[in-house]
Amino acid sequence: MTQTRGFSRRAIIMHWLITISIFFLFISSWWMLSLPFPSEDFKYRVLPFQVHKNIGITILFFLAILLYLRFKFPPGTVVISHAHPWMSRLVIFYHFLLYVIILSCCVSGYMSSSYSGWNTTLWWIIELPNWGYEDEELNIFYSEIHLWTCWALLVLVAIHVSGAIYHAFRNDGIVQRMLRL
Amino acid sequence: MSIAAPNKPRPTWAVWLGAIAVIFGVLQTAVYSNEWMTQKVISEDITAMQSTPDCPEDELLEEDISLAECELMAAKVNIMIVSRPSWFRDFQMCISLLGGIIAFASIFVGAALVEYRNWAPTGAVVTFTVLLVINTVEFAAATHAGPLLRATYLWNITLWFFIHLIMTSAALAGHHKKDK
Ligand code: HEM
Ligand code: HEM
Repeated sequence: MTQTRGFSRRAIIMHWLITISIFFLFISSWWMLSLPFPSEDFKYRVLPFQVHKNIGITILFFLAILLYLRFKFPPGTVVISHAHPWMSRLVIFYHFLLYVIILSCCVSGYMSSSYSGWNTTLWWIIELPNWGYEDEELNIFYSEIHLWTCWALLVLVAIHVSGAIYHAFRNDGIVQRMLRL
Repeated sequence: MSIAAPNKPRPTWAVWLGAIAVIFGVLQTAVYSNEWMTQKVISEDITAMQSTPDCPEDELLEEDISLAECELMAAKVNIMIVSRPSWFRDFQMCISLLGGIIAFASIFVGAALVEYRNWAPTGAVVTFTVLLVINTVEFAAATHAGPLLRATYLWNITLWFFIHLIMTSAALAGHHKKDK
Protein backbone atom coordinates (compact mmCIF):
# COMPACT_ATOMS: atom_id res chain seq x y z
CA MET A 1 0.00 0.00 0.00
CA THR A 2 1.60 3.28 -0.99
CA GLN A 3 0.87 6.87 -0.14
CA THR A 4 0.22 8.63 -3.42
CA ARG A 5 1.17 12.22 -4.20
CA GLY A 6 -1.03 15.05 -2.99
CA PHE A 7 -2.38 18.16 -4.67
CA SER A 8 -0.11 20.34 -6.82
CA ARG A 9 1.53 23.29 -5.08
CA ARG A 10 -0.56 25.83 -6.98
CA ALA A 11 -3.76 23.98 -6.07
CA ILE A 12 -2.65 24.04 -2.43
CA ILE A 13 -2.08 27.80 -2.60
CA MET A 14 -5.61 28.23 -4.04
CA HIS A 15 -7.11 26.03 -1.31
CA TRP A 16 -5.54 28.13 1.44
CA LEU A 17 -6.38 31.47 -0.19
CA ILE A 18 -10.00 30.32 -0.43
CA THR A 19 -9.95 29.20 3.20
CA ILE A 20 -8.59 32.51 4.55
CA SER A 21 -10.98 34.49 2.36
CA ILE A 22 -14.05 32.52 3.44
CA PHE A 23 -13.25 32.84 7.14
CA PHE A 24 -12.64 36.55 6.64
CA LEU A 25 -15.99 36.93 4.87
CA PHE A 26 -17.84 35.21 7.71
CA ILE A 27 -16.17 37.18 10.49
CA SER A 28 -16.36 40.53 8.72
CA SER A 29 -19.96 40.07 7.52
CA TRP A 30 -21.25 39.56 11.05
CA TRP A 31 -19.54 42.79 12.02
CA MET A 32 -20.43 44.83 8.92
CA LEU A 33 -24.14 44.07 9.28
CA SER A 34 -24.07 45.68 12.74
CA LEU A 35 -22.99 49.01 11.26
CA PRO A 36 -25.60 51.77 10.75
CA PHE A 37 -27.41 51.88 7.40
CA PRO A 38 -25.66 54.08 4.83
CA SER A 39 -26.69 57.74 4.65
CA GLU A 40 -25.15 61.19 4.29
CA ASP A 41 -23.66 61.06 7.82
CA PHE A 42 -23.12 57.33 8.14
CA LYS A 43 -20.74 55.93 5.56
CA TYR A 44 -19.36 53.10 7.65
CA ARG A 45 -20.87 50.32 5.54
CA VAL A 46 -19.40 51.42 2.22
CA LEU A 47 -15.87 50.03 2.51
CA PRO A 48 -16.70 46.74 4.29
CA PHE A 49 -19.45 45.94 1.77
CA GLN A 50 -17.13 46.70 -1.15
CA VAL A 51 -14.39 44.55 0.36
CA HIS A 52 -16.89 41.74 1.06
CA LYS A 53 -18.12 41.77 -2.54
CA ASN A 54 -14.60 42.01 -4.00
CA ILE A 55 -13.28 39.11 -1.98
CA GLY A 56 -16.45 37.07 -2.59
CA ILE A 57 -16.14 37.48 -6.35
CA THR A 58 -12.39 36.78 -6.23
CA ILE A 59 -13.14 33.48 -4.48
CA LEU A 60 -15.01 32.47 -7.63
CA PHE A 61 -11.80 32.86 -9.65
CA PHE A 62 -9.74 31.00 -7.03
CA LEU A 63 -12.31 28.21 -7.07
CA ALA A 64 -12.19 27.95 -10.87
CA ILE A 65 -8.37 27.84 -10.78
CA LEU A 66 -8.41 25.17 -8.03
CA LEU A 67 -10.82 23.04 -10.06
CA TYR A 68 -8.77 23.44 -13.22
CA LEU A 69 -5.52 22.55 -11.43
CA ARG A 70 -6.95 19.56 -9.59
CA PHE A 71 -8.03 18.06 -12.95
CA LYS A 72 -4.87 19.08 -14.84
CA PHE A 73 -2.61 17.67 -12.11
CA PRO A 74 -4.87 15.19 -10.34
CA PRO A 75 -3.79 14.12 -6.87
CA GLY A 76 -3.24 10.39 -6.50
CA THR A 77 -6.20 8.46 -5.16
CA VAL A 78 -6.06 7.71 -1.46
CA VAL A 79 -5.67 4.02 -0.78
CA ILE A 80 -7.50 3.13 2.40
CA SER A 81 -7.45 -0.46 3.42
CA HIS A 82 -10.38 -1.88 5.39
CA ALA A 83 -12.49 1.10 4.31
CA HIS A 84 -15.69 0.44 2.43
CA PRO A 85 -15.67 1.74 -1.14
CA TRP A 86 -18.71 3.87 -0.32
CA MET A 87 -16.55 5.92 2.04
CA SER A 88 -14.29 7.06 -0.79
CA ARG A 89 -17.34 7.83 -2.89
CA LEU A 90 -18.82 9.81 0.01
CA VAL A 91 -15.63 11.89 0.31
CA ILE A 92 -15.67 12.65 -3.44
CA PHE A 93 -19.34 13.63 -3.21
CA TYR A 94 -18.60 15.75 -0.12
CA HIS A 95 -15.86 17.71 -1.90
CA PHE A 96 -18.16 18.15 -4.89
CA LEU A 97 -20.78 19.54 -2.50
CA LEU A 98 -18.23 21.98 -1.05
CA TYR A 99 -17.55 23.35 -4.54
CA VAL A 100 -21.29 23.65 -5.28
CA ILE A 101 -22.08 25.43 -2.00
CA ILE A 102 -19.18 27.89 -2.33
CA LEU A 103 -20.37 28.64 -5.86
CA SER A 104 -24.00 29.11 -4.75
CA CYS A 105 -22.93 31.35 -1.90
CA CYS A 106 -20.98 33.59 -4.27
CA VAL A 107 -23.67 33.67 -6.96
CA SER A 108 -26.50 34.41 -4.51
CA GLY A 109 -24.42 37.21 -2.95
CA TYR A 110 -23.82 38.70 -6.37
CA MET A 111 -27.48 38.41 -7.36
CA SER A 112 -28.64 39.93 -4.08
CA SER A 113 -26.26 42.80 -4.58
CA SER A 114 -27.38 43.24 -8.21
CA TYR A 115 -30.99 43.83 -7.13
CA SER A 116 -29.98 46.16 -4.28
CA GLY A 117 -29.39 49.17 -6.48
CA TRP A 118 -25.71 49.32 -5.48
CA ASN A 119 -23.08 48.84 -8.17
CA THR A 120 -20.11 46.55 -7.81
CA THR A 121 -16.73 47.67 -9.11
CA LEU A 122 -14.36 44.75 -8.74
CA TRP A 123 -11.37 45.94 -6.69
CA TRP A 124 -12.36 49.51 -7.62
CA ILE A 125 -11.20 48.86 -11.20
CA ILE A 126 -13.61 46.71 -13.22
CA GLU A 127 -17.21 47.85 -13.34
CA LEU A 128 -19.32 44.67 -13.21
CA PRO A 129 -22.56 44.50 -15.16
CA ASN A 130 -25.56 44.98 -12.91
CA TRP A 131 -27.72 42.08 -14.01
CA GLY A 132 -30.54 43.33 -11.90
CA TYR A 133 -32.20 46.62 -11.10
CA GLU A 134 -33.34 47.96 -7.78
CA ASP A 135 -35.98 45.45 -6.69
CA GLU A 136 -36.64 45.02 -2.98
CA GLU A 137 -38.36 41.64 -3.24
CA LEU A 138 -35.69 40.00 -5.38
CA ASN A 139 -33.00 41.54 -3.20
CA ILE A 140 -34.57 39.96 -0.11
CA PHE A 141 -35.10 36.66 -1.94
CA TYR A 142 -31.43 36.37 -2.96
CA SER A 143 -30.29 37.65 0.45
CA GLU A 144 -32.15 34.76 2.06
CA ILE A 145 -30.52 32.29 -0.31
CA HIS A 146 -27.16 33.92 0.40
CA LEU A 147 -27.71 33.62 4.14
CA TRP A 148 -28.75 29.95 4.03
CA THR A 149 -26.09 28.83 1.56
CA CYS A 150 -23.47 30.53 3.75
CA TRP A 151 -24.80 28.75 6.87
CA ALA A 152 -24.67 25.48 4.93
CA LEU A 153 -21.10 26.28 3.90
CA LEU A 154 -20.11 26.88 7.52
CA VAL A 155 -21.53 23.48 8.53
CA LEU A 156 -19.74 21.75 5.64
CA VAL A 157 -16.47 23.51 6.52
CA ALA A 158 -16.80 22.48 10.17
CA ILE A 159 -17.21 18.82 9.20
CA HIS A 160 -14.37 19.14 6.66
CA VAL A 161 -12.02 20.61 9.28
CA SER A 162 -12.97 17.97 11.85
CA GLY A 163 -12.11 15.33 9.25
CA ALA A 164 -8.74 16.99 8.63
CA ILE A 165 -7.96 17.07 12.35
CA TYR A 166 -9.04 13.44 12.72
CA HIS A 167 -6.58 12.43 10.02
CA ALA A 168 -3.86 14.65 11.51
CA PHE A 169 -4.15 12.86 14.87
CA ARG A 170 -4.05 9.50 13.09
CA ASN A 171 -0.99 10.72 11.17
CA ASP A 172 -2.15 8.72 8.17
CA GLY A 173 -0.81 10.96 5.41
CA ILE A 174 -4.09 12.66 4.40
CA VAL A 175 -3.39 16.20 5.62
CA GLN A 176 -0.03 16.16 3.85
CA ARG A 177 -1.95 16.10 0.58
CA MET A 178 -3.10 19.69 1.19
CA LEU A 179 -0.42 20.88 3.63
CA ARG A 180 2.95 21.13 1.98
CA LEU A 181 5.40 23.94 1.46
CA MET B 1 -9.07 1.58 8.60
CA SER B 2 -5.44 2.33 7.93
CA ILE B 3 -3.86 4.45 5.28
CA ALA B 4 -0.48 3.93 3.75
CA ALA B 5 2.41 5.51 5.61
CA PRO B 6 3.71 8.74 4.10
CA ASN B 7 6.98 8.66 2.17
CA LYS B 8 8.92 10.02 5.13
CA PRO B 9 7.86 9.16 8.68
CA ARG B 10 6.64 12.22 10.55
CA PRO B 11 6.13 12.36 14.29
CA THR B 12 2.45 12.53 15.17
CA TRP B 13 2.89 15.52 17.46
CA ALA B 14 4.30 17.58 14.57
CA VAL B 15 1.45 16.62 12.24
CA TRP B 16 -1.39 17.47 14.61
CA LEU B 17 0.28 20.60 15.99
CA GLY B 18 1.00 21.70 12.40
CA ALA B 19 -2.62 21.14 11.33
CA ILE B 20 -3.92 23.00 14.38
CA ALA B 21 -1.46 25.86 13.80
CA VAL B 22 -2.75 26.17 10.24
CA ILE B 23 -6.41 26.32 11.32
CA PHE B 24 -5.78 28.90 14.04
CA GLY B 25 -3.40 30.79 11.75
CA VAL B 26 -6.14 31.07 9.13
CA LEU B 27 -8.70 32.19 11.72
CA GLN B 28 -6.37 34.73 13.32
CA THR B 29 -5.39 36.20 9.97
CA ALA B 30 -9.11 36.72 9.30
CA VAL B 31 -9.76 38.15 12.77
CA TYR B 32 -6.83 40.59 12.60
CA SER B 33 -7.79 41.72 9.08
CA ASN B 34 -11.30 42.43 10.33
CA GLU B 35 -9.99 44.38 13.32
CA TRP B 36 -7.77 46.44 11.04
CA MET B 37 -10.77 47.20 8.84
CA THR B 38 -12.90 48.07 11.89
CA GLN B 39 -10.42 50.72 13.03
CA LYS B 40 -9.90 51.98 9.49
CA VAL B 41 -13.65 52.44 8.96
CA ILE B 42 -14.49 53.95 12.34
CA SER B 43 -12.51 57.14 12.11
CA GLU B 44 -12.59 60.13 14.47
CA ASP B 45 -15.76 61.29 12.79
CA ILE B 46 -18.05 63.11 15.18
CA THR B 47 -20.91 63.79 12.75
CA ALA B 48 -22.09 60.25 13.44
CA MET B 49 -22.36 61.09 17.12
CA GLN B 50 -24.49 64.12 16.52
CA SER B 51 -27.08 62.68 14.18
CA THR B 52 -29.58 59.83 14.21
CA PRO B 53 -29.24 57.21 11.49
CA ASP B 54 -31.72 56.77 8.66
CA CYS B 55 -33.86 53.70 9.22
CA PRO B 56 -36.18 53.35 6.21
CA GLU B 57 -38.98 50.81 6.49
CA ASP B 58 -37.84 48.71 3.50
CA GLU B 59 -34.28 48.38 4.86
CA LEU B 60 -35.62 47.31 8.26
CA LEU B 61 -37.71 44.67 6.51
CA GLU B 62 -34.79 43.53 4.38
CA GLU B 63 -32.48 43.03 7.32
CA ASP B 64 -35.24 41.82 9.61
CA ILE B 65 -34.51 44.29 12.42
CA SER B 66 -36.60 46.70 14.50
CA LEU B 67 -36.38 50.49 14.46
CA ALA B 68 -34.81 50.45 17.94
CA GLU B 69 -32.12 48.00 16.78
CA CYS B 70 -31.40 50.14 13.73
CA GLU B 71 -30.86 53.21 15.91
CA LEU B 72 -28.64 51.27 18.29
CA MET B 73 -26.33 50.41 15.41
CA ALA B 74 -25.16 54.01 15.54
CA ALA B 75 -24.66 53.69 19.28
CA LYS B 76 -22.34 50.76 18.63
CA VAL B 77 -20.08 52.95 16.47
CA ASN B 78 -20.33 55.75 19.03
CA ILE B 79 -19.13 53.46 21.81
CA MET B 80 -15.92 52.98 19.88
CA ILE B 81 -15.48 56.68 19.06
CA VAL B 82 -16.31 57.94 22.55
CA SER B 83 -14.52 55.42 24.72
CA ARG B 84 -11.42 54.86 22.59
CA PRO B 85 -8.36 56.61 24.10
CA SER B 86 -6.52 58.83 21.61
CA TRP B 87 -3.75 56.26 21.02
CA PHE B 88 -6.08 53.29 20.67
CA ARG B 89 -6.96 53.48 16.97
CA ASP B 90 -3.36 53.74 15.72
CA PHE B 91 -2.25 51.12 18.19
CA GLN B 92 -4.98 48.65 17.10
CA MET B 93 -4.18 49.20 13.43
CA CYS B 94 -0.45 48.56 14.00
CA ILE B 95 -0.90 45.53 16.23
CA SER B 96 -3.55 44.05 13.90
CA LEU B 97 -1.22 44.47 10.95
CA LEU B 98 1.69 42.89 12.82
CA GLY B 99 -0.51 40.16 14.29
CA GLY B 100 -2.02 39.48 10.87
CA ILE B 101 1.42 39.09 9.29
CA ILE B 102 2.67 36.74 12.03
CA ALA B 103 -0.59 34.76 11.99
CA PHE B 104 -0.22 34.40 8.22
CA ALA B 105 3.38 33.26 8.71
CA SER B 106 2.17 30.68 11.26
CA ILE B 107 0.23 28.98 8.44
CA PHE B 108 3.54 28.28 6.68
CA VAL B 109 5.14 27.18 9.95
CA GLY B 110 2.20 24.80 10.46
CA ALA B 111 2.70 23.36 6.97
CA ALA B 112 6.45 22.99 7.69
CA LEU B 113 5.62 21.10 10.90
CA VAL B 114 3.32 18.74 9.01
CA GLU B 115 6.16 18.13 6.54
CA TYR B 116 8.58 17.93 9.46
CA ARG B 117 11.16 20.25 7.95
CA ASN B 118 14.34 20.48 10.06
CA TRP B 119 13.70 24.09 11.01
CA ALA B 120 10.01 23.61 11.78
CA PRO B 121 10.11 22.80 15.55
CA THR B 122 12.32 25.84 16.28
CA GLY B 123 10.28 27.96 13.87
CA ALA B 124 7.09 26.91 15.64
CA VAL B 125 8.42 27.80 19.10
CA VAL B 126 9.52 31.23 17.87
CA THR B 127 6.35 32.03 15.90
CA PHE B 128 3.91 30.90 18.59
CA THR B 129 5.90 32.81 21.23
CA VAL B 130 5.70 35.98 19.13
CA LEU B 131 1.93 35.51 18.83
CA LEU B 132 1.76 35.04 22.59
CA VAL B 133 3.71 38.25 23.16
CA ILE B 134 1.40 40.11 20.76
CA ASN B 135 -1.63 38.84 22.70
CA THR B 136 -0.04 40.00 25.95
CA VAL B 137 0.57 43.48 24.55
CA GLU B 138 -2.99 43.61 23.20
CA PHE B 139 -4.26 42.51 26.60
CA ALA B 140 -2.33 45.26 28.38
CA ALA B 141 -3.65 47.83 25.91
CA ALA B 142 -7.28 46.70 26.22
CA THR B 143 -7.13 46.86 30.03
CA HIS B 144 -6.35 50.58 29.65
CA ALA B 145 -9.15 51.25 27.18
CA GLY B 146 -12.09 51.66 29.56
CA PRO B 147 -14.92 49.30 30.52
CA LEU B 148 -16.83 49.38 27.22
CA LEU B 149 -13.86 48.38 25.07
CA ARG B 150 -12.61 45.95 27.70
CA ALA B 151 -15.93 44.15 27.47
CA THR B 152 -15.55 43.94 23.69
CA TYR B 153 -11.92 42.92 23.49
CA LEU B 154 -10.61 41.32 26.65
CA TRP B 155 -12.42 37.98 26.58
CA ASN B 156 -11.36 37.10 23.07
CA ILE B 157 -7.77 38.26 23.59
CA THR B 158 -7.71 36.00 26.66
CA LEU B 159 -8.99 33.10 24.58
CA TRP B 160 -6.31 33.62 21.92
CA PHE B 161 -3.69 34.01 24.62
CA PHE B 162 -4.48 30.56 26.02
CA ILE B 163 -4.64 29.00 22.56
CA HIS B 164 -1.15 30.32 21.81
CA LEU B 165 0.09 29.36 25.26
CA ILE B 166 -0.96 25.75 24.63
CA MET B 167 0.56 25.77 21.15
CA THR B 168 3.86 27.22 22.41
CA SER B 169 4.07 24.63 25.20
CA ALA B 170 3.31 21.81 22.74
CA ALA B 171 5.94 23.11 20.30
CA LEU B 172 8.51 23.31 23.11
CA ALA B 173 7.75 19.77 24.21
CA GLY B 174 8.11 18.55 20.62
CA HIS B 175 11.31 20.52 20.20
CA HIS B 176 12.84 18.93 23.30
CA LYS B 177 11.77 15.48 22.14
CA LYS B 178 13.54 16.16 18.85
CA ASP B 179 16.74 17.13 20.68
CA LYS B 180 16.95 13.73 22.35
C1 HEM C 1 -17.96 32.31 -0.32
C2 HEM C 1 -18.31 33.54 -0.45
C3 HEM C 1 -19.16 34.33 0.52
C4 HEM C 1 -19.41 34.12 1.85
C5 HEM C 1 -18.90 33.01 2.75
C6 HEM C 1 -20.30 35.19 2.28
C7 HEM C 1 -20.80 35.32 3.56
C8 HEM C 1 -21.76 36.23 3.94
C9 HEM C 1 -22.44 36.24 5.21
C10 HEM C 1 -22.22 35.24 6.34
C11 HEM C 1 -23.29 37.30 5.21
C12 HEM C 1 -24.21 37.73 6.34
C13 HEM C 1 -25.59 37.25 6.05
C14 HEM C 1 -26.59 37.70 7.08
O1 HEM C 1 -26.32 37.57 8.28
O2 HEM C 1 -27.63 38.20 6.65
C15 HEM C 1 -23.16 37.98 3.94
C16 HEM C 1 -23.85 39.12 3.55
C17 HEM C 1 -23.74 39.72 2.32
N1 HEM C 1 -22.99 39.28 1.25
FE1 HEM C 1 -21.79 37.65 1.24
N2 HEM C 1 -20.55 36.03 1.21
C18 HEM C 1 -19.89 35.53 0.12
C19 HEM C 1 -19.88 36.06 -1.16
C20 HEM C 1 -20.54 37.22 -1.54
C21 HEM C 1 -20.51 37.81 -2.87
C22 HEM C 1 -19.73 37.24 -4.07
C23 HEM C 1 -21.26 38.94 -2.82
C24 HEM C 1 -21.58 39.97 -3.90
C25 HEM C 1 -20.95 40.22 -4.95
C26 HEM C 1 -21.79 39.06 -1.48
C27 HEM C 1 -22.61 40.09 -1.04
C28 HEM C 1 -23.17 40.15 0.20
C29 HEM C 1 -24.08 41.21 0.61
C30 HEM C 1 -24.56 42.38 -0.26
C31 HEM C 1 -24.44 40.93 1.95
C32 HEM C 1 -25.35 41.80 2.83
C33 HEM C 1 -26.66 41.27 3.17
C34 HEM C 1 -27.29 40.32 2.25
O3 HEM C 1 -27.60 40.69 1.10
O4 HEM C 1 -27.48 39.16 2.66
N3 HEM C 1 -21.33 38.00 -0.73
N4 HEM C 1 -22.22 37.30 3.17
C1 HEM D 1 -13.17 27.55 4.51
C2 HEM D 1 -12.54 26.47 4.73
C3 HEM D 1 -12.24 25.37 3.72
C4 HEM D 1 -12.78 25.13 2.49
C5 HEM D 1 -13.88 25.90 1.77
C6 HEM D 1 -12.11 23.97 1.94
C7 HEM D 1 -12.36 23.41 0.69
C8 HEM D 1 -11.79 22.25 0.21
C9 HEM D 1 -12.12 21.63 -1.04
C10 HEM D 1 -13.14 22.17 -2.05
C11 HEM D 1 -11.36 20.51 -1.15
C12 HEM D 1 -11.44 19.48 -2.26
C13 HEM D 1 -10.34 19.58 -3.22
C14 HEM D 1 -10.61 18.60 -4.34
O1 HEM D 1 -10.65 17.38 -4.10
O2 HEM D 1 -10.78 19.08 -5.46
C15 HEM D 1 -10.51 20.43 0.02
C16 HEM D 1 -9.58 19.44 0.28
C17 HEM D 1 -8.84 19.35 1.44
N1 HEM D 1 -8.87 20.23 2.52
FE1 HEM D 1 -10.02 21.86 2.69
N2 HEM D 1 -11.18 23.53 2.85
C18 HEM D 1 -11.23 24.37 3.96
C19 HEM D 1 -10.45 24.30 5.10
C20 HEM D 1 -9.54 23.31 5.37
C21 HEM D 1 -8.78 23.20 6.59
C22 HEM D 1 -8.80 24.21 7.75
C23 HEM D 1 -8.02 22.05 6.48
C24 HEM D 1 -7.03 21.44 7.42
C25 HEM D 1 -6.33 21.90 8.33
C26 HEM D 1 -8.30 21.47 5.18
C27 HEM D 1 -7.71 20.33 4.69
C28 HEM D 1 -7.99 19.75 3.48
C29 HEM D 1 -7.35 18.53 3.01
C30 HEM D 1 -6.33 17.69 3.75
C31 HEM D 1 -7.90 18.27 1.73
C32 HEM D 1 -7.52 17.13 0.80
C33 HEM D 1 -8.45 15.98 0.95
C34 HEM D 1 -8.01 14.84 0.04
O3 HEM D 1 -7.05 14.20 0.38
O4 HEM D 1 -8.61 14.66 -1.02
N3 HEM D 1 -9.24 22.26 4.54
N4 HEM D 1 -10.81 21.51 0.84
